[in-house]
Amino acid sequence: MRQFFSELSRSKAGLAGFILLVLFVALAVLAPWLGLEDPTRGSLRARMTAPTWDGFWPGAHPLGTDEVGRDILSRIVHGSRTTLAVAGAAVVAGGIVGTFLGILAGYAGGLTDRILMRLVDIQLAIPLMMLALLVVAALGPSIQNVIMVLALTSWIRYARIIRGQVLSLREREFVQSARAIGASGWRIMLRHILPNVMTPALVVATLELARIIVMDAALSFLGLGVQPPNPSWGRMLADGRVYISTAWWSVTFPGLAIMLTVLGVNLFGDWLRDYFDPKTRSAR
Amino acid sequence: MAEPLLEVRNLIRTYGGNRSLLGGARPVLHAVNDISFHVAAGETLGLVGESGSGKSTAGRVTLQLEPADGGSVRFAGQEITGLSPRQLKPVRRQMQMIFQDPYAALNPRMRVGSFVAEPLVVHGEDAHKDRIADLFRIVGLDPAFMTRYPHEFSGGQRQRICIARAIALKPSFIVADEPITALDVSIQAQIVNLFQDLQDQLGLAYLFIAHDLSMVRYLCQRVAVMLRGRIVETASVEQIFSNPQHPYTRSLLDAIPVPDPDRPRRKRLAFDVASNIPPREAVMAEIAPGHFVLQP
Ligand SMILES: Nc1ncnc2c1ncn2[C@@H]1O[C@H](COP(=O)(O)OP(=O)(O)O)[C@@H](O)[C@H]1O
Ligand SMILES: [Mg+2]
Repeated sequence: MRQFFSELSRSKAGLAGFILLVLFVALAVLAPWLGLEDPTRGSLRARMTAPTWDGFWPGAHPLGTDEVGRDILSRIVHGSRTTLAVAGAAVVAGGIVGTFLGILAGYAGGLTDRILMRLVDIQLAIPLMMLALLVVAALGPSIQNVIMVLALTSWIRYARIIRGQVLSLREREFVQSARAIGASGWRIMLRHILPNVMTPALVVATLELARIIVMDAALSFLGLGVQPPNPSWGRMLADGRVYISTAWWSVTFPGLAIMLTVLGVNLFGDWLRDYFDPKTRSAR
Repeated sequence: MAEPLLEVRNLIRTYGGNRSLLGGARPVLHAVNDISFHVAAGETLGLVGESGSGKSTAGRVTLQLEPADGGSVRFAGQEITGLSPRQLKPVRRQMQMIFQDPYAALNPRMRVGSFVAEPLVVHGEDAHKDRIADLFRIVGLDPAFMTRYPHEFSGGQRQRICIARAIALKPSFIVADEPITALDVSIQAQIVNLFQDLQDQLGLAYLFIAHDLSMVRYLCQRVAVMLRGRIVETASVEQIFSNPQHPYTRSLLDAIPVPDPDRPRRKRLAFDVASNIPPREAVMAEIAPGHFVLQP
């Protein structure tokens, strides 16, 4: 752990990404206690207020208000909760399913492998957004469905990379040794393979997190994500874009929030991949 | 004569050959090509040949870690080729393998104590800490190391850990695949001694794989010399060292480093493997009791 942080502090980009990520998670977790206005209640008198630092903190709208007078700062902060919950759950669900199937395909080989990899190929041939739209349109836009759809677009990334790792792992002597003592396939996959693919799975997870945040925003932009009045970044973009010429703040700040979060995740993810890559490690 | 513990007959293992998607079969490689040998209980058979001659493959197929493409393997009177994993499980208690590269042979994410205990757990035996500690002591390791991870150990220590795991179920036969090749010369003798002590204590039989003959003289009773997937000569250690018949065996003998620097080294016989691939129709002939040579 200490080594992790001393390595991290040596990479400007990695550290910046890490700080952005921590900030994002902290805001999401602490949102109810930050003394912000109710993100769902507006006042018509305060419609389209430009960002202002006048007055005392709770009353002012530092990032302005939207077309029904809701505080944009509050909506962004509360929206990060939705984003974190949806993206986090999707990354975890996609990661578990994808890692498991990747291990199964790589270790079992044969027909299992061929079927799973054909599935991956087929899914790769379908544009992800189209797949997501289809499923959400068919099942209805609930939080669970959005999570499910995002996980569905995600498992293949894990499965492919993990499978490749497993193909080389299973030739390693310690796996042969496990076979020699009569260990079952399940035992070998769970006790010998899984712990050795956790690192690549974690790296895929950070890269997927960034992609899923963008996709989640896109889904809510299209009205298929979290339903109003709950705040979500994509939705704020969609609602605000009509007023872009008169109220620039209504799209700019949600857009910035998405951009900074994704940037943070990507910077940190890139660093993490290098950190775990033995080749770049020994070069340092 | 009683049946030996292990009897391998006409074993074949090929790689490649199955059609790739874009037509055209890949050429078939006969990694192990019709070899036969036996190992008696408590005996050590050396399997010697240069790198790539098929020794490791022979070891793996003997232990049914990969399927044979032909031939038979009888262990303790039972034919074990073609058995299902479930049928093999009780046989696996009796035979184990130790690998060449002790760095790849340990799971980097598993504590070495759990690693040594795993065979006991798999076979539903008592894997209590005391029993693992005993195994650590037997192979000359401090039982306090049990909770550590592999990266904290040297090559020699890792090989001891592998040995502890291999003997946990008290097997009667171990394939040791070049177990000292990757170790420092100063450590090699210690590990060879450990192999010998364990053999005396536990009555183990070994198939000891090596790429040269230097350690074989101390450890083995009989030797099989392998060349390009075939066994070209089998004999007792005395016969091999005093009366080598096959030119390849002679070249291996000449390659042994001479310990005494004053003694002039015999001129090394050049042996060109590429132009000495054993012909397909060659057969073994017994030129003296127990001494077989592949006749061209
Ligand atoms: N899993 C495998 N797939 C394809 N070829 C293999 C495989 N294992 C070994 N071989 C080939 O079989 C031959 C014998 O290899 P091996 O048994 O490792 O020899 P040795 O242990 O004597 O060095 C080599 O040519 C090697 O490339
Ligand atoms: Mg080998």
